[in-house]
Amino acid sequence: MMPLRRKLADGAALLFALAATAFGLIWLVWILWTTMAEGAAALTPSLFTQMTPPPGGSGGLLNAFYGSAVMVLVALVLGTPVGIAAGTYLAEHGRHSRLAAIVGFINDILLSAPSIVIGLFVYELAVRPAGHFSGFAGAIALAIILLPIVVRTTDEALRLVPNQMREAAFALGVPAWRITSRIIYKAGLSGIVTGVLLGLARIAGETAPLLFTALNNQFWSASLAQPLANVPVVIFQYAMSPYDQWHALAWAGALVLTAFVLGLNLMVRFFARRGNR
Amino acid sequence: MSPPPHLAPSSGAAADRLFRLVTAGAAWLVLIVLGGAAVSMAWGGRLAFETFGWRFIASRDWDPVSGKFGALIPIYGTLATSIIALLIAVPVSIGIALFLTDIAPRWLRAPIGMAIELLAAIPSIIYGMWGLFVFAPFMAAHVEPWLTGKLGGLPVIGPLFTGPPIGIGLLTASVVLGIMIIPFITAVARDVFNAVPSSLKEAAVALGSTRWEILSRVTLPYTRSAIIGAIFLGLGRALGETMAVTFVLGNAHDLSPSLLMPSNSIAAAIANEFTEADTELYRSSLIALAFLLFVVTFLVLCAAKLMLMRVGRTHGRSQ
Amino acid sequence: MIELLERRVKEATPLALPAKIHVRDLDFFYGKAQALKKVELAVPANSVTAIIGPSGCGKSTLLRTINRIYELYPDQRAEGEVVIDGHNVLDPRYSLSALRRCVGMVFQKPTPFATSIRKNVAFALSYYERLPKGELADRIEDALRHAALWDEVKDKLDSSALALSGGQQQRLCIARTLAVRPEIILLDEPTSALDPISTAKIEELIHELRQHFTIVIVTHNMQQAARVSQRTAFFHLGELIEVGETSQIFTNPHVQRTQDYITGRYG
Repeated sequence: MMPLRRKLADGAALLFALAATAFGLIWLVWILWTTMAEGAAALTPSLFTQMTPPPGGSGGLLNAFYGSAVMVLVALVLGTPVGIAAGTYLAEHGRHSRLAAIVGFINDILLSAPSIVIGLFVYELAVRPAGHFSGFAGAIALAIILLPIVVRTTDEALRLVPNQMREAAFALGVPAWRITSRIIYKAGLSGIVTGVLLGLARIAGETAPLLFTALNNQFWSASLAQPLANVPVVIFQYAMSPYDQWHALAWAGALVLTAFVLGLNLMVRFFARRGNR
Repeated sequence: MSPPPHLAPSSGAAADRLFRLVTAGAAWLVLIVLGGAAVSMAWGGRLAFETFGWRFIASRDWDPVSGKFGALIPIYGTLATSIIALLIAVPVSIGIALFLTDIAPRWLRAPIGMAIELLAAIPSIIYGMWGLFVFAPFMAAHVEPWLTGKLGGLPVIGPLFTGPPIGIGLLTASVVLGIMIIPFITAVARDVFNAVPSSLKEAAVALGSTRWEILSRVTLPYTRSAIIGAIFLGLGRALGETMAVTFVLGNAHDLSPSLLMPSNSIAAAIANEFTEADTELYRSSLIALAFLLFVVTFLVLCAAKLMLMRVGRTHGRSQ
Repeated sequence: MIELLERRVKEATPLALPAKIHVRDLDFFYGKAQALKKVELAVPANSVTAIIGPSGCGKSTLLRTINRIYELYPDQRAEGEVVIDGHNVLDPRYSLSALRRCVGMVFQKPTPFATSIRKNVAFALSYYERLPKGELADRIEDALRHAALWDEVKDKLDSSALALSGGQQQRLCIARTLAVRPEIILLDEPTSALDPISTAKIEELIHELRQHFTIVIVTHNMQQAARVSQRTAFFHLGELIEVGETSQIFTNPHVQRTQDYITGRYG
């Protein structure tokens, strides 16, 4: 018969694990529920058709959605090719290159680095010399946040390609670059796409790097050379303000943002799981 | 064995070299970005460092009017919130990892695991809003009065729980931060718990060990390096977290022992004040804060990576 | 004394056909460990030469020096000569591209590329030769016919190669190699991952191919070696112990170690 003490300890461990999981899930549910409830109240079609209003006024978030979309797209265009190229270098030369080992290490640190530092870096780089905030600076900041994610997932995806496939391609006498571009990328494509989409979900929600780069713009602006409205900073400003209507808009924006980010995440993970089977 | 006549031109080698150059160049870019950020912060902060010297780190001042700045309060706030966040997140993460690897029925593991990972996907500004509008009032109405009532009078820990229940403050911020870093620690813990050789666990079971005994005597010792690495990883993330903390910490330049009082963190101070900083010294002080944050975070994340590399695993998810 | 006798025995079995490949004084190193020691081997043209021996004896290593695939790994190196048609292909000045066009290799595990059947076969071919569309299609059909796969895939050339069965995938790999019209084909345990029916098909294929190609096959299956090859070389611990006509090696080996292996004294 097991002594009571051991039984109790075991039961306590079981209880603790259950409680911990419930703890984690409760917050998730609470946060999502709040976002949905508060946001739904302010979710009207005008959200997508009107601009950000002056204090106390009513309006929408059209320019913010547009600005975010543009910056995220430019960030993808800037960051994805560099990320894939660097990830390719790590995967194909990682075993015998000192540079690859160091870059891999540093990349992982960049992945978890404070995004506000990146924002300040781009401020010093692109905003100060130009004398004004700009959407382009915001896009650069987002691209820097995106970069390590794409590098990492590309590296992992390409490493998964079996070495025998590489050898079989080399045995045919085709040069390395052609093997990588035609065979390896194709084999690792789903992993790379997954990485880019997850990176997209991450940068769509980033606020800190935009605070000192794109800032915000009350009016309609399609120019990347000027401050550009964007969803996260609008949410920040409106939430911190004392106006109820601005609060409502902030919640609506939060709901749309969360739905987009989580939806993308779930979709990507769901299809990645499917593809692996 | 001569090659047949209509052979494609052998530009293979040159193209190979070009390809390698381009990919290596992109790899260098990663290093340049990190190095650039470090240099840029150091450069931007040099005015503050020159003006205040080492006292910058120990000074409580924060007076934009008279131009006196010190990093002590933001450093304190950053460290306090991060450490309390870890105190909350680490046991919870290990508990969740235990649940997901050992207790949950197989069909439940993927959905719950994915749900926990969603915590990491939620943008931090959403945490901030929820924290400000929902959680802080909750804390103010239900938790903080209870804490001041029950614990405020006790010796030693009493001063930690004094002050008006406004909701905004160190404790609330720490809890929100703790929730945010749970998924990162859980992901690593789950990975390494699964990697413990089943032969070890089976041997323990054959000897009649209980679940708790297997966890404490087999799993945790075996995965110790990785768990410590995961803790450092969580710490690194917590130190740099901006938006959630900005909403609920209070941006108060006061140093008080109480956890219920508002305070400031490096990231929150920068987020709140940078666009309004009107003097060079003000801006430089904020950038100097950023430099300090960068250095500390870099060291912590390096330690995390080294610990995790020992085990042969990096943090399981690319988030 | 034994070694002197063994060496004389090795040289005593002359080739009936001219040597296509001549391995001379070949040493191979994985880092500091030596995997092949002073190997001397002549491989005749238009025939099948089998390389047998226990695990780790260096048979795959030998194969991998012939097309220099080991050069993918910086810590592996070969010293000595591998002479094909009078040229030492281990010379760094010798074009890898030209070598690998002339020497094809099929690996143990079928490795189709993650693309269509057509593109698999065309992959190397379209790099080496710029062919008009019609001729390309003809060459692809040609290769697939020679690999005994045409009838099974002619209606689905654009479907994914990954959907084929193991045996079909391996024949696709053979077709891929045949497409560039090599002169030598190296087979590294080509059927060890396949079922008996696929194995039989591939052995039949080898039998037909030998009329046009020089084939070297590494196998741990002695019965297979006896079935498909004309000459057999026995390796042990990185050294060539004995080489000769297949029938002679299996019925009347001259060296004791060969006899021990064949009778199953050690694996």
